[in-house]
Amino acid sequence: MTAAPPSRPVRMTPLARREARWGYLFILPWVIGFAAFTALPMLATLGFTFTNLTLTQDEPLTFVGIDNYRHLFSDPQMWRSLGVTLRFAVLWLPTVILAPFAVALLLNAKSLRGSRFFRVLFFLPYVVPFVAGVFLWQSMLANDGWVNDVLRFLGLAQPPNWLFDRDWIYPALVVIGIWGIGAGIIINLAGLQGIPAELYDAAQIDGAGWWAQLRNVTIPFMTPIIFYSLVLGIVEVMQYFLVPLVLKSGTGEPGGATLFYNLYLYKNFFTFQNMAYGATLAWFLFVIILAATLALFWSARRWVFYAGER
Amino acid sequence: MRSPKALAVTLFTVLLAGVFLSPFLRSAMIALSTREQLGQANAPIWPANPATFEYQGREMVIYEVPFDDGTRDLALLRPGRTSSEFIDPADPETVIPWEGSWRALERSWTVAPTWSNFSDVWVLIDYPRVLFNTIALAVIGTIGTVLSCTLVAYGFARFRFPGRGMLFTLLIATIFLPAAVTLIPTYTVFVKLGWVGTWLPILVPAFFANAYDVFLLRQYLMTIPRDLDEAASIDGAGPFRILWSVILPQAWPAVVTVGIFTFVYTWNDFFGPLIYLSTRPDLQPISVALARFNGLYSSNPALIQAGTLMTLILPVLLFIVFQRFFIRGIALTGSGVER
Amino acid sequence: MVEVRWYCCLGTGEDAESQLPVENRIVEEFNASHPNIHLTFEVVTYDEARDTLATQLASGNPPDIVGPVGIGGAEAFHGEWLDLTPLIEESGFDLGRYEQAAVELYQSGGEGQVGIPFAAYPSVMFYRKSLFEEAGLNEPPHEYGEPYVWPDGTEAEWNYDTVRELALRLTVDENGLDATQDGFDPTAIVQYGYEPQRDDIRGLGAYFGAGSIASEDGETAQIPEPWAAAWKYWYDGMWNDGFILTGPDYDSDEWAGQVDYAFFTGRVAMSTNFLWSTYGVAEGGDDWDVAAVPSYEGTTTSPLNADTFRIMKDSAHPEEAFEVLRYFLEDASADLLNIYAGMPAVPEEQDAFFETYQEQFPNEVDWQVVKDSLQYADVPNWEGYMPAYNETLDLLLTYGDKWATTDGLDMDEEIATLQDEIQAIWDR
Repeated sequence: MTAAPPSRPVRMTPLARREARWGYLFILPWVIGFAAFTALPMLATLGFTFTNLTLTQDEPLTFVGIDNYRHLFSDPQMWRSLGVTLRFAVLWLPTVILAPFAVALLLNAKSLRGSRFFRVLFFLPYVVPFVAGVFLWQSMLANDGWVNDVLRFLGLAQPPNWLFDRDWIYPALVVIGIWGIGAGIIINLAGLQGIPAELYDAAQIDGAGWWAQLRNVTIPFMTPIIFYSLVLGIVEVMQYFLVPLVLKSGTGEPGGATLFYNLYLYKNFFTFQNMAYGATLAWFLFVIILAATLALFWSARRWVFYAGER
Repeated sequence: MRSPKALAVTLFTVLLAGVFLSPFLRSAMIALSTREQLGQANAPIWPANPATFEYQGREMVIYEVPFDDGTRDLALLRPGRTSSEFIDPADPETVIPWEGSWRALERSWTVAPTWSNFSDVWVLIDYPRVLFNTIALAVIGTIGTVLSCTLVAYGFARFRFPGRGMLFTLLIATIFLPAAVTLIPTYTVFVKLGWVGTWLPILVPAFFANAYDVFLLRQYLMTIPRDLDEAASIDGAGPFRILWSVILPQAWPAVVTVGIFTFVYTWNDFFGPLIYLSTRPDLQPISVALARFNGLYSSNPALIQAGTLMTLILPVLLFIVFQRFFIRGIALTGSGVER
Repeated sequence: MVEVRWYCCLGTGEDAESQLPVENRIVEEFNASHPNIHLTFEVVTYDEARDTLATQLASGNPPDIVGPVGIGGAEAFHGEWLDLTPLIEESGFDLGRYEQAAVELYQSGGEGQVGIPFAAYPSVMFYRKSLFEEAGLNEPPHEYGEPYVWPDGTEAEWNYDTVRELALRLTVDENGLDATQDGFDPTAIVQYGYEPQRDDIRGLGAYFGAGSIASEDGETAQIPEPWAAAWKYWYDGMWNDGFILTGPDYDSDEWAGQVDYAFFTGRVAMSTNFLWSTYGVAEGGDDWDVAAVPSYEGTTTSPLNADTFRIMKDSAHPEEAFEVLRYFLEDASADLLNIYAGMPAVPEEQDAFFETYQEQFPNEVDWQVVKDSLQYADVPNWEGYMPAYNETLDLLLTYGDKWATTDGLDMDEEIATLQDEIQAIWDR
């Protein structure tokens, strides 16, 4: 994890004490906000997980120990939904890393004219309100939608029925997701523009072609961005559920393929109104995400390259 | 274009952008259609009505009917499975029988866009009011976020204090927190405070910083050399002065970045305004207002898309104006990730 | 001054063009005439309405009066509704003007009188006259008990077998061939014969006969025989006979992707649906009318949707909320029923209602059929109580979606598994 040097409880000089006071003062807004809007609610939900809290509370509220956790680990739907999320993640993570990177490479190409204009175009879908975007894609990806019209025009007699075929629903969700990569493109573009031009010049003198430059200069310099995108990508994909919720009204169709973990969590909370079990699912998700990102941070030492590293 | 390569790359980009943006064309087509048009079979992709002919108070659809001596545009008088009766609009008195299935015939279409969808949205959701709400929420939320996150990031980047590492780790960990974990208790607190039905549950937290933006800003501030603030400090400037006159002038690309991301995020935020403002339609932003056209038995895709297209203008303008700083802001932050 | 919150829309009531303006006006009029109460109107569209209400309840912030809400929407919050009996007695509200069956509808589940009848939406058979005419077929019977008459004069009982026969002839491909003819192309269907109300498979089942998933003891899951038959009929109609749209086709832009029901496109000949679906029927042309609901095994069942306004058990101001309720049920009822397309639960008001309601349609509709259909309403109501309501309903919806989208299923096996899975939820 990102690290300021660990502070030891040494005797502080008056100057250091003054500095510390200022430091606390500046971070105070976050400390208050964290306590009020994160820590206390979190503890409250943690408390829920040891009770039988439901919305209607037909039975008296009692402490049930680890019953909810026992149910959690023996709940086949939980494991199925976790599987759905992981399967989608396998497809989504490479896409959310590569697609913005590739578009950013294109927009950063010296030979491209009007790149500032194109940047606006590629950013555009990012500002479409979410619900409107999903409806639009529902129409685009319908069996008789524009996407299949084009595929038929290109000679594909039986284009996939994207939203109803268990094998094609994930690619369809990926397509819908790609539409919102505007922010990712901008971040990648920024990374590319941060690479010192001299390095490319030097590589060219060495006779390196486009591919060699990409491999030896661009990619190593982009590893921090890739890392950043990967971390945020994991956080996002593990919590993914809004698109299937709206697209399939939360049914998990086709054949349970879109009953993502977070959707199952959401349904337990709001549809089944089982607050205790919903909270348990939420906490388990938090632990999984935390574990995954910690592992990623640990591995980062091996492959993330920092230009300014001392 | 100077070189063929430039031409090729640019053309490819145009093509890619065309594909990428094609849903907007679909959106525009939907926005210009009526519900009836959207339910028509084998209709063109643009909003169109089949040409019709009115005769003796009856409206009849005109088809392109093939005969041995060529195709004629005739109005369908009496449809039948294997043979039908048509009339010629030029001579409606004579009934023309035709053998074959009328369903296989092409219709002649006329372009019929419904521009009133835009004005309908304007009136139905009280667009000016809703737009004002959206802007106000986005602007205040952005100010709060930028202000608080800058202060907090400055605190983490420039001051040493016991527990800093632990607190920063804690801050980062909140990024990984699923929203559902805190929703119910948070909502309960806002109810107790009497804030539900006001903008406060949405705006107040913005003034208490968030992990994403603090992280981004802190990374950026770390790249700014300390020499200048040390010099200012020796000159007797306090931390606030240093932040204002030394740090901010160098950090504004990152600040603009945080500003734009926050603005767009707040602009489209749906869930928060939905649950906190359900009692007060007069306070709702556009994202919630548009959802009103998505009723279970009253969905109106045309109004949703018309409303969406009308809402894009402001964020896009903002992006165009600020994009230069914006990209520089992340450029330096990006290479400074995890320093 | 007391604030009373009206929460909408767990069913209908959210349409920005036709409903909200009227509802807002009623709120204003109420406030003007009741200086002691301030009524506020909360609109949350259906997709978010249940979750938002759940959040409000969980946080101790319940609204006071909720509606219009159907039996099912209310069952999703079983145990949260106020027993109105004391308020009714105290105020001398006259329940005698309603039919006994309608009043009893709101007594099931052992919570007392949790509602007062307001709007009724019986099911009828909607049909497109021009499509029958084009096929050279007679229109379906308008009177219950009447047979269907084939063009050659032979009479057939008006049941689902007859509907199937008719629907096959009314399912047409782009070459003009119907599903009974040689050379019919099932991949190029441009007109379908029949469309059942398919939102919820309980309702789908109830068209074949009234029943409940919960058996008498309230703990054992069962599948009523007519429901199983209805589900198989639907499944075969989609995947084998082809006169009903399959799920993927149904959701395509060409059919119901952009309008709410395939029948609204004007290219489906018959559709059993609730009265409220008239709101979109005219979009497909003014060549429609309503006929009797067909029978199954000699029994006719017209599944009922019934909406009313309910008061929440945790309301801080139940008396004021009841005053609002009375206002909706009495002073404002005509306006509200008109925008909700709900037939008045008070029999004497029905003729006046249909007179006003007819005004928006250029074609004369046989509303007598709707009134008659109420006699065949399903008891118990298909949306009524079952244990673990929300989770069970979720499972039923999931199965419904699966059947609509998957070819080649063994329906007997499916239904047996469904029953087992419901039982597993109830046993937990």
